[in-house]
Amino acid sequence: MPVEAGQDGSVSARLVVEGLRCASCVWVTEKVLERTEGVRSATVSYASGRATLHWDPARTDLGALARRIAALGYRPRPLEGATAPDRGLMVRMALAAIGALAIMGLYEGLYAGWWYGGMDPAFAALFRWTSLAIATPVALWCATPFYAGALTGLRHRVLHMDLPVALGVAVLYVHGLVSTLRQQDAYLDSMTMLVALLLAGRLLEARGRRRAAEAATTLASTVPRTARRALGDRVETVPVESLVPGDLIDVGAGEEIAADGVATEGSGQVRMALLTGESEPILLGPGARVVAGAVLLDGALTVRVEAVGEATLVHRMASALESAGDTRARPTAADRIAPWFTAATLAVAGVTFVAVLALVSAEEAIARTVAVLVVACPCALALAQPLGSAAGLGAAARRGVLLRSTDAFLGLNDVTLVALDKTGTITAGEPSVTGADDPHLRIAAGLERYSSHPIARAIVAEAARRDIPLPRAGEVREQAGVGIEGVVDGRRWRLRSGGPGVVTLLDDRGGAAEIRLGDAARADARATVAELRARGLRVVLLTGDHAEIARRIAGEAGIEEVIAGADPETKRARIRGFQDVGERVLFAGDGLNDGPALAAADVGLAMGRGAASSVLVADGIVSDEALGPVVSAFRSARVAARVARFNHLQSLAYNLVTVAAAVAGLVTPLVAAVLMPVSSAVVIWTSLRVEPAVRRLER
Amino acid sequence: MRGIVILLVAALGIGGVFTALLVYAMRRGQFDDLDDPPQRMLRDD
Repeated sequence: MPVEAGQDGSVSARLVVEGLRCASCVWVTEKVLERTEGVRSATVSYASGRATLHWDPARTDLGALARRIAALGYRPRPLEGATAPDRGLMVRMALAAIGALAIMGLYEGLYAGWWYGGMDPAFAALFRWTSLAIATPVALWCATPFYAGALTGLRHRVLHMDLPVALGVAVLYVHGLVSTLRQQDAYLDSMTMLVALLLAGRLLEARGRRRAAEAATTLASTVPRTARRALGDRVETVPVESLVPGDLIDVGAGEEIAADGVATEGSGQVRMALLTGESEPILLGPGARVVAGAVLLDGALTVRVEAVGEATLVHRMASALESAGDTRARPTAADRIAPWFTAATLAVAGVTFVAVLALVSAEEAIARTVAVLVVACPCALALAQPLGSAAGLGAAARRGVLLRSTDAFLGLNDVTLVALDKTGTITAGEPSVTGADDPHLRIAAGLERYSSHPIARAIVAEAARRDIPLPRAGEVREQAGVGIEGVVDGRRWRLRSGGPGVVTLLDDRGGAAEIRLGDAARADARATVAELRARGLRVVLLTGDHAEIARRIAGEAGIEEVIAGADPETKRARIRGFQDVGERVLFAGDGLNDGPALAAADVGLAMGRGAASSVLVADGIVSDEALGPVVSAFRSARVAARVARFNHLQSLAYNLVTVAAAVAGLVTPLVAAVLMPVSSAVVIWTSLRVEPAVRRLER
Repeated sequence: MRGIVILLVAALGIGGVFTALLVYAMRRGQFDDLDDPPQRMLRDD
């Protein structure tokens, strides 16, 4: 496990913590680690399940900290290796669901017998005992995550939703056990169904979180796995891990460079977009430094390796930015309600017991107290948040925005100001043709159709847009960094760079024509900005570019506020400045230089084609090549928040009514079997309605 | 009574066998990733 020493004598390490099922788990783990002697700081990322620890080596060690995490019921692992999904949770959910189905069938028989009367007591007993046999593993094994969560919370005095859930399940099971022994009806059908639903909610939440985290890692991990190592006059393909500094590797056109190093032979245009977000390639020759993850667009290079794997610039940057991006998860609204909910339930149960004991009888007092505890199970309350958010996150993902945490997702509702970067965000980040006449564009496109250079792609795309059929060029020869030439319509043409934003097309008789290229606003930029403003949001263009270009693009996109010439630190400072005057800021950007601003913003969105660094530090990724998904994310967040709020309220109201009924002695097992799923069913139904509701808003 | 008992035992037995198969498949990782494998066959590497 990599342990790094800091300057002040402390050491730090990063671990993956498996089994973090909810925001509260993260919260508890951080609290417990921070209270451990010798620990200076502990941060656990909810999005990636990673923990960053700083401690004093004289007072504790990594083993002790890992054991501490394990004692909470989570599994610490070294950072290497992929994140495995929680198979245990899946198996528990499946068993609980199958158990619930089987018991439901048996209980239907029991209820029918009770309704029509005259059921043979031997049958009833058989059905009850079979149900108990199926319900026992569900209560004792499938529901253990809730008991573990509740116990951990109690031990460390951090109360959250697991406590009332565990209490509810335990009460239902013990009641079922006693009732079966006494030949009475129990609530085991409700119990197993609650466990299955709650586990399904957790599973959905964990799955959504893992997918977004994986998407971020995948986008960032474009460094190839193998390299071609040159040994004298032989070349062999080897895994990147077996490269050592000093090795020579060959890189061909279109390939990604596998390690940091220095070019020793050859030349070619290298695109560093992964690192810088700039699409313009640079011509490199012997002696030039190259970095892992950069793409060689043309030519060929031999590179002497200087750093491999974790030591490469892209890796170090990713891990630095990633730890800066680990945000603390806040407990959800339901978690904050949970202690009060539990206290209120226990208080009502106590009062009921005393009052009914005094007014009616001991037996009735026990029956009603149990009924109160049984119907107060906060299933719907515990389900509302994970299901609503999972549905909202799914709706946003289908529209091209992958968000890494529920916090960031619901945080979209508080955003008041949207700051947009220019290159790669409002614009496509690649040049497009802004000025050319049709005949020359046709010739240029005929030459450039064979090239993968961004300018070539822009020219060919423009020709396609104008419906110009591409001629077939002969004798095409591309010279890296110089230009391209070939024969079209029987004449020889040369295409050369004519300074920034201009390429010149030269013919064989000395004639010349210019094709102008520039960054233009995305097709949907204007509509998106208009929609953001219609939602009452302040839209600001925040860019490092010159004021003149920034104003032109802002004009195209319909943005009035422009902050130009901002370096990365200024961008961050501007966002902090907005936050100081009470704005909640969403920042969307794509470059290496956007990292600090993305981290500082309340919600940071990285454009998916942008630099890996920005993808890692952001709260979410816009995976489509468009700006429109940002608006969709706002819509989905609004619907999800509305659904979650409605469900919290309806489940609390529902619990009030049923507890009142239980106090009055009106709740029988059949009534409970009908009533208890209603609230959960409403939660599931409203969560299913999130997608149609977002679609309705889009019309 | 006897008929019901036999049916019940048989039903639980069959259900148990399939549940065990499902759990076995889950533990082997068959349900870890449902999105990627269908697309993997389309990739070159």
